[in-house]
Amino acid sequence: MGVKAVWDKIYKTLATVRTGIILLITVVIVSALGTLVLQRPTSDVDVIRRTYSPTTLLWLDRLGLTDVYHSWWFVGLLALVSLSIIFVSIERWPNAWRFYARPYRRPEAHFRAVLPNREEFSVKDAKEGIDAATRAFAKAGLKAEKIVDNSEISLYAEKHRFSVFAVYIVHASLLLIFAGGIVDALYGYRGFVAIPVGDTVNAIEMHDAKGNDFKKPMPFALRCDGAGQENYPDGTPKKWWSNLVVLKDGQVVKQKQIIVNDPLIYHGIRVYQASYGQTGKLDHAELRAAPTSGTASPQLITVAMNKPVELDADTTVTLTRFEPDFYVQDNQVFTKSESPDNPAFELKVNTKSTGKDVTLWLFPRFNNISQGPASPYTFAYADMKMANFTGLEVSFQPGQWGVWAGVLLMAFGLTVAFFMAHLRFWAMVVDDPKKGLVLWVGGACNKNKERFETRFKELTSAIREELRASGNGDGAQTKTNG
Amino acid sequence: MSRARAEERPGTAGTTLLVLVGLSMAVLLLTALLGMAKAKTGPIYSESNMLYAALVFYAGAGALYMAYGVAGIERYVKYASISTAIGFLATTIAAGHRWYLAGRPPFSNLYEMLLSFVWTLALMTLVAEKYYKVKIIGSITMPLAVVSVILMQLLPSEVRPLVPALQSTWLQVHVSLAMLSYAACAVSFALAIMFLIQDDMKTESFQALTALGMVAIYASMMLRFRSGGFAVAGWDPQQQSEIFIARGQSLFVTIPDLGWLFVLVLISTLAPLALYGVARLRKSEEFYGYANQAMFVTILLQVVGALAFVMRAKGGAYPSPDADGLVPTALAASPFILAGIVGAIFAGLLYLLLMWRREGLQKMLPSADDLDRITYKTICIAFPLLTLMIAVGAYWANETWGSYWSWDPKETWAAITWLVYAGYLHMRITRGWKGRRAAYFAILGFAVVIFTFFGVTYLLPGMHAYA
Repeated sequence: MGVKAVWDKIYKTLATVRTGIILLITVVIVSALGTLVLQRPTSDVDVIRRTYSPTTLLWLDRLGLTDVYHSWWFVGLLALVSLSIIFVSIERWPNAWRFYARPYRRPEAHFRAVLPNREEFSVKDAKEGIDAATRAFAKAGLKAEKIVDNSEISLYAEKHRFSVFAVYIVHASLLLIFAGGIVDALYGYRGFVAIPVGDTVNAIEMHDAKGNDFKKPMPFALRCDGAGQENYPDGTPKKWWSNLVVLKDGQVVKQKQIIVNDPLIYHGIRVYQASYGQTGKLDHAELRAAPTSGTASPQLITVAMNKPVELDADTTVTLTRFEPDFYVQDNQVFTKSESPDNPAFELKVNTKSTGKDVTLWLFPRFNNISQGPASPYTFAYADMKMANFTGLEVSFQPGQWGVWAGVLLMAFGLTVAFFMAHLRFWAMVVDDPKKGLVLWVGGACNKNKERFETRFKELTSAIREELRASGNGDGAQTKTNG
Repeated sequence: MSRARAEERPGTAGTTLLVLVGLSMAVLLLTALLGMAKAKTGPIYSESNMLYAALVFYAGAGALYMAYGVAGIERYVKYASISTAIGFLATTIAAGHRWYLAGRPPFSNLYEMLLSFVWTLALMTLVAEKYYKVKIIGSITMPLAVVSVILMQLLPSEVRPLVPALQSTWLQVHVSLAMLSYAACAVSFALAIMFLIQDDMKTESFQALTALGMVAIYASMMLRFRSGGFAVAGWDPQQQSEIFIARGQSLFVTIPDLGWLFVLVLISTLAPLALYGVARLRKSEEFYGYANQAMFVTILLQVVGALAFVMRAKGGAYPSPDADGLVPTALAASPFILAGIVGAIFAGLLYLLLMWRREGLQKMLPSADDLDRITYKTICIAFPLLTLMIAVGAYWANETWGSYWSWDPKETWAAITWLVYAGYLHMRITRGWKGRRAAYFAILGFAVVIFTFFGVTYLLPGMHAYA
């Protein structure tokens, strides 16, 4: 077989609806399989390791079953479906185009005899019969076209002729959606980044097909100026927000407060609010410092990590360590969690004149006062604020516009396909050897036949009215059907 | 025959039943009114009162529709549809009141989805009856509505604030489209079954189909079998919610011995199927009779199982492998299991109705050709709705998670549902599939819908953990 013969064979196989259906069934089975096996991109690595034994996992990986939807054979299958749609459309296009471009406008005798929806009225005059039909057509909202051929006059009216293309519109929209998906699969990416409030980042965390993490640099830097959570009265989260700044070459190019469902978009890259949480680090704390001796009233100071605060000309205090949820073991301080349920502060009090350092621990939930025997000051806890991070989802999907265009086109195509019918009506005065001069009226429709029948009956009764009113014939039917 | 029989009867035919149903409804409503007057609980149009009224009216309608199915008296349908209409009105007010109180449409949790499902079901029943003259459909949909309203009473009903990801108009559109399209699929399924009845499919085949559905339900329930016990989600009575260990991961408690009972029920559901197989192989009428007897046995056992489940899961505390001590549970924690058990029994009862009243039913239903055409039309409505539902869901996901398609199991199964119905339309339009084959296809489509709606949530949890 030559190349052309092989190509012909492939083309002929793909260009049948049967092949298309078989491919669809395969897609269904394979996608269903993908929901039964844990997928690498959407599952936690540990969960996968816990669920399958190493050998099973090895084989699942080898067979591509742990990432079905991105495997070469699944993409290939979708490509075959697309090809099949294109080839079937090419096969059927000439017929559809002929039907559209050259509508059947003049009813021939054989057509008049077999059309299911037809009716005949006896008329006295050919021209007036046609005029009555024209008026009835116009009343029914149909624009009739007069066709004169060999002194025979006939009428043709139609509606929604383009609805014969609905099928092509729907399939084209599907291809558009696929194309968008392919562009995104090739050029798009999606990752996650957590930014502590006040920090700037320029890379996002992603994981590859094997589940390994890596960092991908972004074409800009992202700074988080603030993030927070608002709660409902019952304590469930109501809103997460972040104030984001986009920096390019050190310049601020965009600023926005994002919330869930309202992302920041910069040059096609979308930044979504995904989560929010505490870093376990302290932003600042407010403490009351009172001199151990003397009668001076306590002063309120604000401390942040490793930043000395002056208490008087001779004394400074520095916050040297912070644990949000402390416990003590072997005389050491550790933390249990990152939420500030039981904080511990380590303070260093320095006296310049003596050069002496005193280290104190402050545990607000216990005695809320800290004093060392040698410390010139005692400290009490007043307030604190934790540093938060905002969790952001970053995605770049240049193909999504194809997808949305495809969706809109499909909505339009399905509307036309299911709810718009191609309606055709004919009227013609015929000199019948048996019945004399009759006005023949016929109609056809490609879907929703019952509703069309009532519509056709309305039209014929309108014609009857017109014939009676003009005194042309009595409007008596010479033949009824059904 | 049935027409003639109905005409022979005097105009007062069936008055006894009408009076009986009317009286019991009146008693139920009156006692509730008196109770309300005593307790002074909120306005009369409040959601719970309206739901109670809806329950009474749907139950009355269901009884009359079923009686119509059995006796074929046309008058029943008239009163049944009035009752359905009043119930529908009550549901509308209940949903409206909830909407008003919450300031958002009621589509965010299982309770609210059931509310909109009941609303759609009642509307569809009225439309099918008035517009398509399918009068018998109420005998299927009304019991479903009653079960749904009862199920709703078990679920936490207070208006809950929405977590951030759900605060989007697109979500409401997505969920309402899902409900509408699933309801349309359900109607197409009922119509396809009716077509098969009218197309003279053998009663034994319906028996096998029913048994197959039961086996599927109890086999999937076996995933909760824990060395003799049966695992259900734990329930926090204070929070009125399931207990979670991690995001989307429930804490399961094991009800001892219940697992064995369900194994027994599973075996009993397999028996009629096996006997049917034997009858097919041996071409023996006798074995079809045995299969029917096995069907009775399994329905009885299922009722016993359901009672045992309700008694033990409705309260009490049980051990859990993931927690110390005993953890409480409630029926509200297992809505899917309850729906499965009740659904299986309901399917069994419908089969019995068919077995006993086949001829009468066949005279009451529209002709096979009409049913075939209406099934196709219903799918022509369901398919664009499914398409839009998926598209809106994708748009919402894109706005919330940054990706319009992430192959999450629910998404994938929605796409599979779409493909199955697309297959149906292709076969019907290009290859002229009509009648039996089309009806089988419609049934398959609905089976996939059920799996997408219940199965995926129950068996394959993903991002759609909220619903």
